[in-house]
Amino acid sequence: MSAAGSTTATAAPRSARRRGPSPRRLVDIVSHGYIWLCLFVFVTPFAALLGYSLTGPGGTYAIQNFQYVLGSFGENLFWSFRVSALTLIIDLLAALPAAYAIVRYPFPGKRAIFSALTLPLYVPGAVIGLSLLLTYNFTYHLTTSIWGLVLAMAVGTFPLMLSPIVVALKDLPLVFEEASECLGATRWQTFRKIVFPLIGPGVSAGLMLSFIIVFNEYLVTLFVHPSDITTAPLRVFNLVRTAGLAPTTAALAVTMQLISFAAVLLFFRVFGTRYLKGTYLL
Amino acid sequence: MSTVRLAAVTKHYGQTVAVEEFDLDVADGELVTLLGPSGCGKTTTLRMIAGLIEPTNGRIFFDAEDVTDLPPRKRNIGFVFQTPALFPHLSVADNIGFGLSVKGRKKDAIAARVEEMLALVGLAGYGPRLPAQMSGGQQQRVALARVLATDPRVLLFDEPLSALDRNLRDTLKYSILDLQRRTAKTAIYVTHDQSEAFAISDRIVVMNAGRVEQIGSQTDIYLRPRTGFVAEFIGANNALRGTVAAVESSDATADPAAREHRFLVTSGELSLHCRSRLPATVGDAVVAYLRPEELAVVEDGDETAYRNVVEGDIERVIFEGPTAQLRVRVADRELRVDVGGSRRLTLSEGRGRVRLGFNDLNVIPAEAAVRVHPDEVPA
Repeated sequence: MSAAGSTTATAAPRSARRRGPSPRRLVDIVSHGYIWLCLFVFVTPFAALLGYSLTGPGGTYAIQNFQYVLGSFGENLFWSFRVSALTLIIDLLAALPAAYAIVRYPFPGKRAIFSALTLPLYVPGAVIGLSLLLTYNFTYHLTTSIWGLVLAMAVGTFPLMLSPIVVALKDLPLVFEEASECLGATRWQTFRKIVFPLIGPGVSAGLMLSFIIVFNEYLVTLFVHPSDITTAPLRVFNLVRTAGLAPTTAALAVTMQLISFAAVLLFFRVFGTRYLKGTYLL
Repeated sequence: MSTVRLAAVTKHYGQTVAVEEFDLDVADGELVTLLGPSGCGKTTTLRMIAGLIEPTNGRIFFDAEDVTDLPPRKRNIGFVFQTPALFPHLSVADNIGFGLSVKGRKKDAIAARVEEMLALVGLAGYGPRLPAQMSGGQQQRVALARVLATDPRVLLFDEPLSALDRNLRDTLKYSILDLQRRTAKTAIYVTHDQSEAFAISDRIVVMNAGRVEQIGSQTDIYLRPRTGFVAEFIGANNALRGTVAAVESSDATADPAAREHRFLVTSGELSLHCRSRLPATVGDAVVAYLRPEELAVVEDGDETAYRNVVEGDIERVIFEGPTAQLRVRVADRELRVDVGGSRRLTLSEGRGRVRLGFNDLNVIPAEAAVRVHPDEVPA
């Protein structure tokens, strides 16, 4: 928003000096109008939700709604965090060797395997949920523990973790690994001390994307969650369905939104400039 | 410190031959250069010595130890790449200490060695910097310090100066030579730059299309090329095809490599006195090579100083500063003649006939002069 505002401020005096509306001025007006329309369309719902979450009984302002979130919905947020953390660990442990194999070693059917691994990106959540329910229920009997849910999340977000790491590895010249090996490092030392730090931006991008998806995932969770585990998004939906939309529910939704924002901000704070420059070199 | 021996080392990529039956002995403390055009297999050979590429055939020895099946980390080598390849997230000191730290050396021992290496390459005090805060030349010196820190048996250089600008190349190549001499390390150095190879090498291996063309000293390679490829790849050369008309002398020195044979060769209307390390008989087809700077413009009375004197017309004069290049038509061929830049004032195009004097030409058999042009070598 601030970026759009400053553009207007610098563009306006320059065009005001001209006589009559030039074509360029028209384009200016239309494009600024478009930006504000987009902001209105995209920001309004969230602003309304934020406003509603702060509404007390009888239409008064109430921060108590958020205290209620930490009390009554604390368990739901805790489940969401636990599922997210376990999923990220499994995703990362699976994606690092997979990405390394895909980028550094030639093997038959490489393209086909990479395409198959990224399949969950294009499959609707309901289809993933249903197929996992079938598989886990009848094959592994996993639906009664948190692990069924975690595995389901890992399947859905694996490509989000894998792709940024693959890209980061492809950008990393082989010469660093060769130099490390010639200096006497084992493969594991080379990976831990050279490769992993240098693909850090890709790894953290994968972690951020996966966290946001897992933390907010509703549809797949609905299919595979055990009856004693209710994550935050599930709780929001259950409450809206059974009790209607209460300000406390809105407060939970806002909290989730803020946690997702925080994840993105943290990512850009730690890796932002390096990642945006597209280079691991400082 | 170590000797290096390559025995029939071969690398094939499918049908493509990268290196064929490569034999080489490098003495302890010697600096040998692999010189050749891009795609000649010199880098592939170096990477096989390092263990970064597995040879299809042949064995590689450091001293008496067969290292062919060892991974790079067990060969104790120092490999300097085209780019400095410093680890960008580690400080200069951590880069230099990397090889010791992965071997589990103590921190204070590493720190002392790092200081020693920084002083050796003239970068004392630069330890805390990150590689990105240093110039290209400084980075390559850090890369040198990094490989020397582990006290390797063999130093391997893969065109380490090609990414630097010209002035830096000149100073750094002598730094490399100086460090190699001071540490008395055996070194193998890959380059496509003739002047670089001539400046630093004990011996030069000229390679072409995966094969060794000639191994020898700078003067051997320059004045006594054994193949057409070497004669034309190293510097400019005039090539004159001809036939042996008479054998003038054949000495019988015990060492066949040092024997000198003298011939009279006819090439078109010209009759030329030639010499060669290789024997030939009357009627053999040969190619005579003549360096542009070996030809001199003869003034009256000077003729006796030269074994050969021919007459020609100056077609072009190209002034290049320290030298001037003449194109002289002799009989039905054009010879390039390099004279001192000041001579240009007395010579001009269309001035008429000049006489060119030169001593015995180096000849090689015509079949050895058939060369694969650098551009025809598969990449």
